[in-house]
Amino acid sequence: MGRMIELRELTKRYGPTTAVDRLSCEVRPGVVTGFLGPNGAGKSTTMRMMLGLHRPTSGEALINGRRYDRIRRPLHEVGAVLDADAAHPGRSAFTHLACLARSNGIGRARVAAVLDEVGLAGVAHKRVGGFSLGMRQRLGIAGALLGDPAVVLLDEPVNGLDAAGIRWIRSTLRSLAAQGRTVLLSSHLMSEMAVTVDRVLIIGKGRLLEDTSIHEMRDRFERDVLVRTPRPAELTGVLTRLGATVTPNGDGDLIAVGVDAPAIGDAAAHAGIPIHALTPRSATLEDVYLQMTSSAAEYRATVTAAPTSAALVGAASAKENN
Amino acid sequence: MTALLDRTWRDAVAAEWMKVRSLRSTWAFLAGGMAATALGALILFMLVGAYDAATPAERLNYETADPTVVTMPFVMFFVGAIGAMLVTSEFATRSIGPALLAVPQRRLLMGAKATVAGLVGLGCGALFALLAFADARLLLGDRPAPINPWPQWTDAIPTVLCATLVVTVTCLVAMGIGAVVRSTAAALTIVGTLVLVMPTFAHFLPTVWQLRLASVLLPNLTPQLAGSDHPYLLSQGGAAAVTAGYVLLALTAGVLRFSRRDA
Repeated sequence: MGRMIELRELTKRYGPTTAVDRLSCEVRPGVVTGFLGPNGAGKSTTMRMMLGLHRPTSGEALINGRRYDRIRRPLHEVGAVLDADAAHPGRSAFTHLACLARSNGIGRARVAAVLDEVGLAGVAHKRVGGFSLGMRQRLGIAGALLGDPAVVLLDEPVNGLDAAGIRWIRSTLRSLAAQGRTVLLSSHLMSEMAVTVDRVLIIGKGRLLEDTSIHEMRDRFERDVLVRTPRPAELTGVLTRLGATVTPNGDGDLIAVGVDAPAIGDAAAHAGIPIHALTPRSATLEDVYLQMTSSAAEYRATVTAAPTSAALVGAASAKENN
Repeated sequence: MTALLDRTWRDAVAAEWMKVRSLRSTWAFLAGGMAATALGALILFMLVGAYDAATPAERLNYETADPTVVTMPFVMFFVGAIGAMLVTSEFATRSIGPALLAVPQRRLLMGAKATVAGLVGLGCGALFALLAFADARLLLGDRPAPINPWPQWTDAIPTVLCATLVVTVTCLVAMGIGAVVRSTAAALTIVGTLVLVMPTFAHFLPTVWQLRLASVLLPNLTPQLAGSDHPYLLSQGGAAAVTAGYVLLALTAGVLRFSRRDA
């Protein structure tokens, strides 16, 4: 195991449109890495360039130091699912995989084993055309696992799946990473990334906006602290002297920005002001993601819903304070 | 390295062979070829019946009952369709993605597909040419020329061999066309035009142009390659050069298009 993906100044242009713009990053083994961005951000194009399906305009994508199209029998090194519908509907699941396996010198016993692993052994000889989306996703993943590869890439693997399917994909990915494999999945759903990945690469308009861990991302975007006290006026004075911006939230509680929870606790104790509740509040990862990609989204409707707007303001002010 | 390349090549060809066998359309097109052969036999049967009922003077005006003239253009279309589908079915079903993930070297993948197209063309061409020949032998019996093109059965060997070669070439050409256009409908239309429509169209041209055009059309290469009696313009060498040109042109265009375009 221990294979790595490297992108070096990867660029793809379609005429005047730049889909991927000098993208450089690394995807390391042992963790699940998310490739996140709004629709049209260049995620799929980037993954297709990694796998030799699209040719970069400039730059290169390397898997363990080599371009994908230089790898002989690549299913032994890299497994990928780019499209759940990418199977001939007239072939059976077994035959579909057997054709792929044969091209890489993989035996039929392995085909049966991966079908069993993804829970499709019972329908192995049914035509793919009759499969549900979830079954086709499982078939795609079975194809990716055929050669027991060290690198696994999945493009939007949870699209259209039901709850059980999503849970299955999450656990499969985490188990693959735990075995030391390099796992990269793309999604435009931050909520999905938040519970599946360890690291996240955020792109917008083909550019890398962020390369960080999910935990760092949460910490960085801590928004404010909600404080409940029976003596709000006195605490406001104390916190203001500490440099915080304090506003009442309407329920008698205070919202403090620019000071963390331990500092508030210490200052209140020092002033002899009782604290009934002290709650650090972060922007949700969804909010952070929307904020980061708002200027990089290719297609987006105007959002007027109050909660999202309010959250964005909170996240923005938190970033300014940081 | 060479051993690995050989193994990679063999595996890619074996996978393409498995794919073509597992396509329902392959068997449908083979059934089409079989139906065309049966239809050709029926037409020949009716022709022989009419010949037997004709007077000796009328019999002299009968054209040669070479079944490869009636049957083989349809066989070429159906076998060519199998060749085209080797590529276009993968684009139509988006299974070209997994195919390229398994064999990312595009020339290797196209080479494997061309090998399978060649084998399919050779096998089917030989099968249908022999069937057409057997039909003719059975139906014509010991009837004389001009209706019987092969008074001795050995006279048919060059025609059967050349018909097999032309079907093989058609299958390869169709595969190349499929790689260029990527669409099954477009590929089948072009192949149908080449082997079925153009020979008919040529008849409507002035005689000089009719012969020039007809001489380079795929179905008419068989008698020119075999050196049998025919009205066309090419020598055997010229016909061989045109045949090779078809393969070279179609496969080069297909490989270039397939190699350079994003999948």
